Amino acid sequence: MSNGSLTGGRGASAPVSQSLKDNGGLGWRTLEEPAQLVLAVAVVVACLGLPALAGNVYWLHIAQLCCLYASAAVFQNLLVSDANQISFGQGAVFGVAAYSFGMASGLNGLPLAAGAGLGICAAVLVGLVLAGPSLRVQGYYLGFVTIAAAMVFPEMLMAFNEYTNGIIGIGVDAGALRRPIVGRIDLLTIVVAVTTSAAFLVHRRVRLSRLGRMMVVSGISPEGAASLGFRPGRMRFAAFVIAAFFTGIAGVIYVPVIEFVSPHSFAFEFSAFLFFAMIVGGQGRLIGPLFGVAVLYIVPNVLLVDLAQYRLIVYGFMALGVMLLFPDGIAGSIIRLLTRSSARSANVAVDFHALGAEVEQQLRTSSGGGNGTRAGTQTDAEAPELVRLHNVVRFYGSVAALDDVSLAIRRGGVHGLVGPNGSGKTTLLNAISGFVRPQGGSITVFGRPTAGRTVADVARLGVGRTFQAPRIYDRLTTAENLQLGFDAPARAPGRWSAAFAEANAGWLHREAASLTHGQRRLIELYRVALSDAELLLLDEPAAGLSPDERVVLGRLVRQLCSEGGKTILIVEHDLNLVWAVADRISVLESGRLIADGTPDDIRGNPHIERLFTGSDDEAEVSDAQR
Amino acid sequence: MAYELAIIFVRGLGLGAIYSLIALSFNVVYMSSGILNFAQGNILVLAGLLAALLSPPEVSVSLWLVLMLVVGCMLTLAVAAQGAMTLAPLRSSTEQHSWLVSTMAVSVIIGASILIVQGPFAVTAPYPFPGVRILGVRTPFAYLAVTALLVLCFVALQLFLRRTRTGVAISALAQDLELARATGLRVRLLQVVSFGISGAILGVTGFVAAPVISIAPDSGISYILSGFIAAVIGGMGNLYGALVGGPIVGVMAMSSAYLFGGEFQNLVLLTLLVAVLMVRPQGLFGRMSTRHV
Repeated sequence: MSNGSLTGGRGASAPVSQSLKDNGGLGWRTLEEPAQLVLAVAVVVACLGLPALAGNVYWLHIAQLCCLYASAAVFQNLLVSDANQISFGQGAVFGVAAYSFGMASGLNGLPLAAGAGLGICAAVLVGLVLAGPSLRVQGYYLGFVTIAAAMVFPEMLMAFNEYTNGIIGIGVDAGALRRPIVGRIDLLTIVVAVTTSAAFLVHRRVRLSRLGRMMVVSGISPEGAASLGFRPGRMRFAAFVIAAFFTGIAGVIYVPVIEFVSPHSFAFEFSAFLFFAMIVGGQGRLIGPLFGVAVLYIVPNVLLVDLAQYRLIVYGFMALGVMLLFPDGIAGSIIRLLTRSSARSANVAVDFHALGAEVEQQLRTSSGGGNGTRAGTQTDAEAPELVRLHNVVRFYGSVAALDDVSLAIRRGGVHGLVGPNGSGKTTLLNAISGFVRPQGGSITVFGRPTAGRTVADVARLGVGRTFQAPRIYDRLTTAENLQLGFDAPARAPGRWSAAFAEANAGWLHREAASLTHGQRRLIELYRVALSDAELLLLDEPAAGLSPDERVVLGRLVRQLCSEGGKTILIVEHDLNLVWAVADRISVLESGRLIADGTPDDIRGNPHIERLFTGSDDEAEVSDAQR
Repeated sequence: MAYELAIIFVRGLGLGAIYSLIALSFNVVYMSSGILNFAQGNILVLAGLLAALLSPPEVSVSLWLVLMLVVGCMLTLAVAAQGAMTLAPLRSSTEQHSWLVSTMAVSVIIGASILIVQGPFAVTAPYPFPGVRILGVRTPFAYLAVTALLVLCFVALQLFLRRTRTGVAISALAQDLELARATGLRVRLLQVVSFGISGAILGVTGFVAAPVISIAPDSGISYILSGFIAAVIGGMGNLYGALVGGPIVGVMAMSSAYLFGGEFQNLVLLTLLVAVLMVRPQGLFGRMSTRHV
């Protein structure tokens, strides 16, 4: 590939890798996640270790409880902040684990280990039940379903009192776990320390993993996730099950710590407390739950122990006060403050030059998502059809978006799709991806009918796409946003070359929130290129780009086709761009395909010229309209 | 059996009117800000408590009406202030969940205050009107009054949202918040006004329904849940939906309490909520959400 191919124009100077390095390895100065993790584990060990060594039973007990609450809040954090599933049911999950353990070992005399195992299984089961509604509803609807579940759980404990001991509760003797084994430290304390540290560690591991990224994307933009071949429904199940499993572990350990369970302990207020702890501590921040539990549990319950009747009201005011003063939570506000003072100066531009070269390298070494040989640049009349639309019909009410459209997209080349606003271009793209179901006719992609296939299924056949509003996820770094291409299920897992990752660490690990619109467009395009999809559907990729950026985009599209072996279907209003890059152009008007041919065929067609008069000079048109 | 059916329907519909009013109040705030005010349940209970504390044992009709206005005004101001406080630190109600905690925290504070002032037990409010017989069922007059209040509030809200400048502006927020902001509407002020309206609805409802609601520190959450389910069944953000959803929830709650016992009432409502969301997530009168791609 020629020098400068697959690259953008912005910020071509090589950035210096800085953010992680001069920050002391773990990122202490801005309290990055590795630093948060170390800090969290240190605090947990200290809080449990000091009272244990000092022999202070009261504080040891408080520390054990707080640690268990914090580890449940960690997975509340994972569920709400990472997977975007609003659940108020985590207290019920915790309670189910504790109660199942209590019933098995306390009432029925099972060995503690067996009871604990049963408790965790029961918690996972409840997680699955809570995940069910998430397939259909999201946001606050899901929140209310889980609130209702959290309210119903203690009521059921009362209703079935012949099995649960009702309001009397269940006592469990765990004296065996309280005997000192290392110096003055007992087994239970060690178990609590390991569990809580593991909770933070697991959360961090999930965030670094492919599963974690898929969860985040599925939560924020199910359609964006599906277009990469992920299955958002499964990701939600995964999130609920992971959260339930680890919350269940905390719930089970709660039993020997308290040696008693009663319905009152797991009322809705407990679920609300875990949610509060996560938000007040700092939503989405790894270390947040520690702060949340400290503020909401220790202050009202321990420091104000003599004012028992004011406990609840203090708790309410603590939560309210933190939210009004620090809407991002405690950890969130601290980190915001630290990053504001340190990172402002380091405004690192994305090095599209290096990125382009890297993507080119990646495409060359990968086997390719397509089946068979890659074609040359020209659309060959003999080339196999990747997409075939057969008399496709789609109406919205009485408005025809697609009216009996038949069209073939052949392997190789750039296929432009143009037409006035509302002519059905995006609907056509959505019909190919599976977002829109045709009311008549049929579509085949790579020879397979799309009827009955989900968007993710179609994506896995080798179809990638970009959206009018670029799907760049601010919660992830730029590197992770690109990495999603490697994560696509249709390809073998990939990774950056070491040299590239090393040289570009400076901008790769920035949060994507700082990217400009133009950068987002290009990053999204590079991502979909990395996903190894053979067919790329680009929905108005030039919208909102500057003239310079359009030139870069046009070159990139051409290069992806000629050097990267991609077949590209591009919907675009910028006719200059389409004329410059397309090998073949189709024209839609009011849902009908009115022309289909090479740019020369189209240019000579007087019927088409009427549609686009003045379009060669868009600036004039828009000036005239003003 | 006929008698039991009559009880279920008469009381179910009366209870349903309360749920409808809560749902209306949910909708007004939700339309303008996308926020669900979790303190609503306890605000309703607080209005009931004020009715019980302020009314003398043999309250006259005129005094009762005056007190109703007083409590209504108090809670209008209080909820408007709560709204202003909730909205103040917010950049975006969709990105941040802080409002969830701040409205719930207000609910906790109200509940805790009631506990301190009143103790854990339910109180009853005096009422100037005697009970009446409907279909042979002795019915507290409050059920009739609250049903009339529902009709009144519904009509008034419809007129307000369609005929007045402020009302139309609030409807505009429901359509497109960004656009409303861009056209120069005073979004925050309108949102605070809608909090105030919801406070007025809740205040008067809690006062009028005082003898038939549970005035206890921990009953707020179940009113929120029932009101929300009523709103969801009808379709979130739709006033007709709220009107229909409440009675459905009320009758379901009464019949499940009769058939299975009171402790299964919430289980039945949970099942109803899940069933509605599975079959028709947009509710009876709701529209499907707009396209994402």
